[in-house]
Parts: sequence; structure tokens; C-alpha cells
Amino acid sequence: MISIKDAWFRVGGHTILESVSLEVKLGEFLGIVGASGAGKSTLLRLIHMEILPTRGQVIVDDLNSLTAHPNEIPQHRRKIGFIFQDFKLLEDRDVYDNVAFALWATGVKPKRIKKRVFQVLAEVGLSHKRYTMIPRLSGGEQQRVAIARALANEPFVLLADEPTGNLDPANTREIMTLLQRINRKGTAVLMATHKADLVERMASRVVEIHEGRIG
Amino acid sequence: MSLNLRYAFREGLLGLKRTRLSSILTVSTIAVTLTLFGLFMAVTYNLRRMVSHIREQILLEVFVDPTLDTPQTEQLGFRIGDVSGVAESIYVSRDEALSRFKSELGEDPMAILGENPLPASFQVRVAETHRSSEAIDGLAQALEALNGVDEVMYKGRLFELVNRYSVYVYLVDGVLFFLVLVASVFLVANTLRLTILSQKKIIQIMELVGATRGFIRRPYLILGMIQGAMGGVFAVASVMLVVALVNLQFDRLILVPWLLYAGLWALGVGLAFWGSRIGLHRHLQAP
Repeated sequence: MISIKDAWFRVGGHTILESVSLEVKLGEFLGIVGASGAGKSTLLRLIHMEILPTRGQVIVDDLNSLTAHPNEIPQHRRKIGFIFQDFKLLEDRDVYDNVAFALWATGVKPKRIKKRVFQVLAEVGLSHKRYTMIPRLSGGEQQRVAIARALANEPFVLLADEPTGNLDPANTREIMTLLQRINRKGTAVLMATHKADLVERMASRVVEIHEGRIG
Repeated sequence: MSLNLRYAFREGLLGLKRTRLSSILTVSTIAVTLTLFGLFMAVTYNLRRMVSHIREQILLEVFVDPTLDTPQTEQLGFRIGDVSGVAESIYVSRDEALSRFKSELGEDPMAILGENPLPASFQVRVAETHRSSEAIDGLAQALEALNGVDEVMYKGRLFELVNRYSVYVYLVDGVLFFLVLVASVFLVANTLRLTILSQKKIIQIMELVGATRGFIRRPYLILGMIQGAMGGVFAVASVMLVVALVNLQFDRLILVPWLLYAGLWALGVGLAFWGSRIGLHRHLQAP
């Protein structure tokens, strides 16, 4: 499903990733553990094809970074959900609009949008807060909105970049449980974190990344 | 209208509300820049109109040999009309020349000299293709060479001056036009970039969820065009007001054709569209 073969990423003379090879199977929960600046986020951005490897290749589903055309990348991203430490939500809109936005932006018909938004909001337990503006939600709730948005297009993999980095222990537990539930339903989860203990209990596999190399 | 286009229009209009401050700044910049540009164009247009008017006024006076009789004078008139570069020739008889002399100078030469000293002439208007100094000299020589022509007189010096200075005017005009255009594009593109910068997050999210480049761009291009159209309307209104005020003081001194106003408005829309494209290009880099 995801295959990274001898991938390097260099920027401005600095090597961020060095000869990284990794295979991720369908439905797997993979923890990527490493200190800040180790290259975890870069690895996720490579899979999302926000950046391309300077050497080696990244193959996601049937898209190869060596042959990918820029026009193919938006379609590729629709199959991947991505959540971040800082949530990346539109703060001038409510919960419903934030989730619906992912569907509008990918050309889904309005009738289908409404149905799908209600489905994913139910999945993350936020149906009752669908018309609440983002700044009025707690950190944990905001991350759940981000997860709902990431799930809206029914991705086969969810990339999570330090998803609990801004949350207190109670909200962290809540988000981790939610990620585990999503994974059990068949969506692969790739979670990057500097807290090894967070993923060790839940992930089916954990890889460690150190100074751009997978150990 | 397709769903995507409807969405783009809706988002474009909503963008105006969401980016209120930068939109006000963009519309104002477009309005001010286009107003200056429009005033400059109006001055240029009227300057050219005046030069052309002065050139039109330049006449060659072809004096007729006093020994010619009426049929010979008529024949000469036909031959003058056939000379290349003659747009029109009007016959001025000796009596008519005398009455013009009296009305212009207030004196009657008949009373002093006892006879009319003025010869008959043809006043020749020069064709537009022959309004350079060289061409007008050539035309005068050609006319002078005709049988029955006594002398050809024209205000060569004035013609030369108009020609020489109109070249300078057009040169300065061209340089200013270029500078104002470049400044306008630069200002508008940069201000529109502010609008797009204020929307950076929303663009990032659209890219994140897999929106196509066209889908991301469309609302901003529409927003830019709306801002351009609004700025254009303000600019057209401002130029109209200035022209009206000047004309109120100096009785119809400036004439501005509707095409210039329409062009100014269209330029606003075009500049904003182009500025938006440039601004978006920076935020939508391929991986």
C-alpha cells in the first residue's frame, strides 16, 4: 500500500532524510517515533506528496513519486487523511462547514456532502456541536473536527503528525482511542510522535527515526 | 452553471466579506491607480486631439498669376486638386481677399492705393498623409511648379514647430504611459497578493484535502475580478468627475470618448485578474 524505497530528502545542503525504506500494509497502525527534527513530519509529507524525495522513490497505492504528474496529486491526496498538532481548521467557520469544506473542495455533490458530514461527525462524537464555531471548542474537540475532516473523503490511510502535541492527558487519551477505533474499521494509521509510550500500547508496529534514518 | 462554478462565484463573493480589510485596500489601490492612469489617458488623448487640430489648420496659400482669366483660373483649380497631398482647395477671389483684409486689419487698401492690390488665391488644405515638414515643402514646390501659380506661401515655421514639439510630447507621453502602466501592474499585483496571503491558510487546507489547482484558483480569480471591477467603477467615476469640473471651468476643454472609460474599467478587471494569477502562483507551487 505504501512503499518507501531508499528515499532521501535534502534541502539547502542539509539532509533531512537519509536512505529511508519502509513498507506499510493496509489497515496497519504504525507508530513513527523520534525526537523533534528527526524527520518524522518530512516522512509524512513525502507520503502525502507535498514534497518529493530528492533520491529514491515513494509509492502510495499505485502512484509513484518518480512518475507522478502534478495533476495526479490532488486525486492522490483525497485517498489520504492528514491531521496535525495545530489542527489547521478554519476558525471563521463552524464545525459543519469545516468538515463539509473537504468535500466541497473535492467536488462532492451537496446532497452527499450533508449525509457524509453527519456520518463523520457522529463517528467522532461531535454531532451535537455541528454548528459551533471552532474557537468555542476545546483542543480535543478541535482535533476531533480535524479527524472528521480527514475521514470525510473515506481515506485508506490517516497520517497523524503529533496529533496530541497540544492536548492535555485526558484529551490525548480520547484522541488515541478514537484513532484506534478508526484503525479497527480498516483505515491504516501512521502516527508520528516524540512520545514513544503513546503508540507502543496501540500501534501494531513502531519504527524509530533518528537524524533522518530509520533505526 | 456547474456546481464548481457556482461554488467559485459564491466563494469569490464571500471572499470579499472575509477579506474585508485587504479587499478595501485592493479596491482603493486599483481605484487610485486607474484614476491616475485614466486622467493621464484623458490628457494624452486631448493633447493628441489638439496637435491634430493645429495641423489641420495649416493651409498653403497658392497665389494665382494675375494675368490668368477666369477659365484658366478654373483649370488651375482642377490641376491643384490633382496634386498628391492636396486634401481640399478653396478659391479666394480678389474681392474676397480684399474684404478679408479689411475685416482682419480694419483698413481699406482701395482708399489708399486706389485699386485692389491683392491677388486671387487657392487655399490648400494638406492631406493627413502629407503633414510632415518634408512632405509639406515638397507639396509647396509641386504647387509652385504649376503653370499659372505665382507664389506659394505657408507658415512653414509654425508647422515645423508643431511637428518638432509633438514628437517630444509623444516621446514623453510614451515613456509616461509605460511607467504608469508598470507602476499600476506592480501596485495591483502586490496589493492582491495581500488578499491572497490573508487566505493562505484556506489555500493550504484546500491543497491538503486534495482540491485541484483550478478549483483553488477560481474563487480567487473571481474575487480579484470583482475587486478590479469595483476599483474600475470608482476610477471611471473619479475621472468623469474631474473632467466635468475642468469642463465647467474651461468650457468643454477636455473631451473623453466612452471607449476610454470602458477601456479603463476593463483594464481594472484585467489587472486584477492578472495580479491574482501572479499572487496565486506563488502559493500554489507544484511539489
